[in-house]
Amino acid sequence: MKQIHILVGGILLSIVLMACGTPATPPPPVPQTVVVPQTVVVQQTVAVPQTVAVPQTVVAQQTVVVPATPAPTTAAPVTLTFWHTYGEGGNNPKIQALEKLIAQFQAAHPGVTIQHQNVPYGDFRRKLLTSIAGGTAPDLARLDIIWIPEFADLGALAQVDTEMKDFDALKANLIAGPLSTTEWKGHYYALPLDTNTRTWMWNKEVYDKAGVSAPPKTTDELLAACAKIKSGANAPCFADGGLYGWAVMPWIWSFGGDVTNPEKTKATGFVNGEKTVGAYMYLKQMLDRGYLDKGILGGGLDTGAGFAQDKIASLLEGPWMPGIFASQYPTKTLNWALMPAGPAGSISVVGGEDIAVFQQSKNKEMAYEFMRFLLTPESQLALAQVGEMPVRSDVADQAVKAQPYFQYFFDQIKTSRARLPHPNWPKIEEILTNAGQEILRGEKTPQAALDDAAAKIDPLLQ
Amino acid sequence: MRSLSLRARAESAPPKRRLFLTPYFFVLPAALVFAVFMLYPLFEAFRMSLFDWKITPGTTSLFVGFENYAHAFRDEVFWMALRNTALYTLVTVPGQMILAMLVALALDAVPRGKVLFRTLFYLPVVTSWVVVSLLFVYLFESSEAGLVNYFLMHIVHIISEPIPWLREPGPAMVAIMTLGIWKGVGWSAVIFLAALQGISAELHEAAMIDGANGWQRFWRITVPMLRPTLVFVLVLLVIGGFNVFIPVYLMTGGNPLHRTETILTYMYNQAFNFLEFGYGAALSYILAAIIFVISFVQIKFLRQPVEV
Amino acid sequence: MLRPQKFLSHTLLYAALIFGALVMVIPFLYMLSTAFKGQIYILEVPPSFLPKEITLQNFVDAWQSNNFARYFGNSLMVALATTAVSLVVSAMLSYALARFDFFGKNILFYAILLTLMLPNLMLIIPEFVLVKNLGLRNNLFGLVLVYLAFSIPLNTFLLRGFFEGLPRELEEAVLIDGGSYWTIFWRIVMPLSTPALATVAIFTFLFAWDEFTWALTAIDDPLWRTLPIAIATFHGEHATQWGLVFAASLTAIAPVIFVFVSLQRYFVKGLTQGAVRG
Repeated sequence: MKQIHILVGGILLSIVLMACGTPATPPPPVPQTVVVPQTVVVQQTVAVPQTVAVPQTVVAQQTVVVPATPAPTTAAPVTLTFWHTYGEGGNNPKIQALEKLIAQFQAAHPGVTIQHQNVPYGDFRRKLLTSIAGGTAPDLARLDIIWIPEFADLGALAQVDTEMKDFDALKANLIAGPLSTTEWKGHYYALPLDTNTRTWMWNKEVYDKAGVSAPPKTTDELLAACAKIKSGANAPCFADGGLYGWAVMPWIWSFGGDVTNPEKTKATGFVNGEKTVGAYMYLKQMLDRGYLDKGILGGGLDTGAGFAQDKIASLLEGPWMPGIFASQYPTKTLNWALMPAGPAGSISVVGGEDIAVFQQSKNKEMAYEFMRFLLTPESQLALAQVGEMPVRSDVADQAVKAQPYFQYFFDQIKTSRARLPHPNWPKIEEILTNAGQEILRGEKTPQAALDDAAAKIDPLLQ
Repeated sequence: MRSLSLRARAESAPPKRRLFLTPYFFVLPAALVFAVFMLYPLFEAFRMSLFDWKITPGTTSLFVGFENYAHAFRDEVFWMALRNTALYTLVTVPGQMILAMLVALALDAVPRGKVLFRTLFYLPVVTSWVVVSLLFVYLFESSEAGLVNYFLMHIVHIISEPIPWLREPGPAMVAIMTLGIWKGVGWSAVIFLAALQGISAELHEAAMIDGANGWQRFWRITVPMLRPTLVFVLVLLVIGGFNVFIPVYLMTGGNPLHRTETILTYMYNQAFNFLEFGYGAALSYILAAIIFVISFVQIKFLRQPVEV
Repeated sequence: MLRPQKFLSHTLLYAALIFGALVMVIPFLYMLSTAFKGQIYILEVPPSFLPKEITLQNFVDAWQSNNFARYFGNSLMVALATTAVSLVVSAMLSYALARFDFFGKNILFYAILLTLMLPNLMLIIPEFVLVKNLGLRNNLFGLVLVYLAFSIPLNTFLLRGFFEGLPRELEEAVLIDGGSYWTIFWRIVMPLSTPALATVAIFTFLFAWDEFTWALTAIDDPLWRTLPIAIATFHGEHATQWGLVFAASLTAIAPVIFVFVSLQRYFVKGLTQGAVRG
């Protein structure tokens, strides 16, 4: 049993020998030879300006079939990969609806296979970046609207307005707001697929228990309702999953603040302006009084599950919730109202997804064909059945008929705004999130934390 | 002792054969893979660390010299990550070694059941980091329903309110380090046990006759005899400690406010969330330099060159 | 010295060992019980180790609707290929380092020692670029190549130590009989080294089976996921469905624990004997 010593001794001896002995071989390999003080083009491939379409696309364009239901082709089998987040939160109805649509599309296009992949939202952006950088991007993806500027700026997305011949015809049917999220520097890089916003989802059982008869209409009423809910139902009145833009922007806007000036060139005076500071002070007050669940600081419970178990009185949520609840908590009913209005009004955040084709795709034409298919009135309505608010103006009324709760979202969306469309948004959002953490944890005053944030955000706006 | 005998052996061994092609035939397959997928990336990482490296098609990387390194030293998140990495190492390495030594001494002393206990202690070692990290997220749930909170509140009554483990930086580090120790004890214990069993019983008996108590025997006999083993385990654990990644990545992702960030999570985040490949490569090289220096110092100063 | 004293100290030692073993095992038992619980019994207060109603639904879901059979197969292929190839090429290299003198030997050996000290993860960025340029991302072969590179240094190091201790007389005899070094390697060295090879094989297999970060970075296509990324992604998708996550996790660790428990005597022996006469 002494052998272990010998093994250990041997390893150590060798390491020591390597470390101390043999001066001829300096331990860390310093690759002096590669220090070339000049600019180097990294890619072996020729740098192609973004605006130039790859040759194969040009060829393919001549055979493009404009109608949404083309004649079946007998071309070689094509497999398209499509990444999305339809299943987020365990939303099985959406996945089933998508699979049904895919089956229809495949039936109309023999030889075409759509391989769809649900990606957890939290990993999605990193996974996309990695795959773009690694040359294995999917053909299509359903992207959060806020990522379009970043991915377009990276040159990762195909320009649909130059590559899709029928783009103008398609565009004519789309609602202007969602359509605008696909534009970056004068070109369109995607088509809108669905839209949404967050409105007030309130728990009638908890409100009743606390003697609150109606959802609060203003932020002041909210404080009063929260006091009752706290004492009467011993539940936090509101919860959210974090301090990222999606969560805090509704409060900031409703209080009249913003992250930058309208021209998107300056954060100082806006993110640290009086009104934004006021919004954070309000949230801090909610937290300190126990009205706001501490889970907003992270590592917390699943807010939907907490709502289902009557541990939380209200959430700001979107039109996907009925679907999630239908499959996971079928007995719980949901109630909706407009977000409580602040001094500047009831301003929520516009969300939604766009569908984009990646430059790396080898089957762009078929990918566009799938995009067209998802934007037909029939597909839009099929998705509306599972909580996807349509982006076609001609189906909005029908969608509300099918899903009456959509009305709340269509009402809310009229006053909702979009997060800053900027390629540096992920970095800006991280700064904003961290400032929110410092404020709510009481480590910095709102003013100090946001002053620091402003100083960090300004350079990111150039 | 061992090294001495090794060295003596090497000198007296018959000269190794010099052949022309045969050696390369044996060397080539492994060396090729090693060179292409290990040495080349090692050089490439250094080259990348000198650039504002761009990976997306149609972009140009800019040579920036040592700017990425300079940036790290100005970057407060880097210092936070370094501090956390060092803290993790300083807590988990002694934690693992002391507990492992106690386990090994106990196993060495008991007459039966060695194999069973060794198996049980080694279970976490063979279990994947991904699985145990997720398991610990579940155990360290912030509410009363988490097993750890429940145990502390209702079984041993140390706390009156559930601890939000993964929400607060301090408790989150405690949870991460607990995982590190829990998973690693068995590895050191098995090595220590094998080494303990190699110490001859006569030494202990002789010392006992001289009137040495257990404590004295441990420090005068066991520790010196185990010294190479201890240093070996120490060096490897410190390297492992500085490389902590998966538990942090899966348990907190470096949050909140980067306060549980470690160097490798920060590096990964910079590279694959923000495509800052040059900066990420520089962070890798800084980490490698730290590990190299610490290992070198440990080996140089802790190892006695020659014993009886 | 006295019997009762020894009895007492043994009792104390066993008590301590049992306590320690419980700390090691309880998390596994809790995971096991959670995997058999329905979603409504997850995170109940007080926590229970015995599910009120045992359900296999989580395993059925993981295996049937979530493709875990395929991920299991991917992991198995990658781990077996890595182990087999790494074993052979590392053994060849080790034999050369142990038996021959050749130009570049020292530099090669020191390079191997150096990489032993460095974190594999520090190479993930250049590795990403390299594998991308070779067109090997999203591909199990790309995983195997990188795992080979990560495993060769340690395996070579361990085997070289073992080979140096093997007696040379037999080899001389083969040479005198006109055999080649290739014959020696396969007929004498490899069979004599079974314990060391087994140890190295088990470590390599475990490494490749469990590796997470590179697979996470290299694989985009869900078809080529290995178990660790499948489980982590699964957790991201079903954050609150712990029963499902642990049913999937047990899939990944069961074979490893089985292999370890059944081979452990052999492999601890291999580890210690690996350095006999070194």
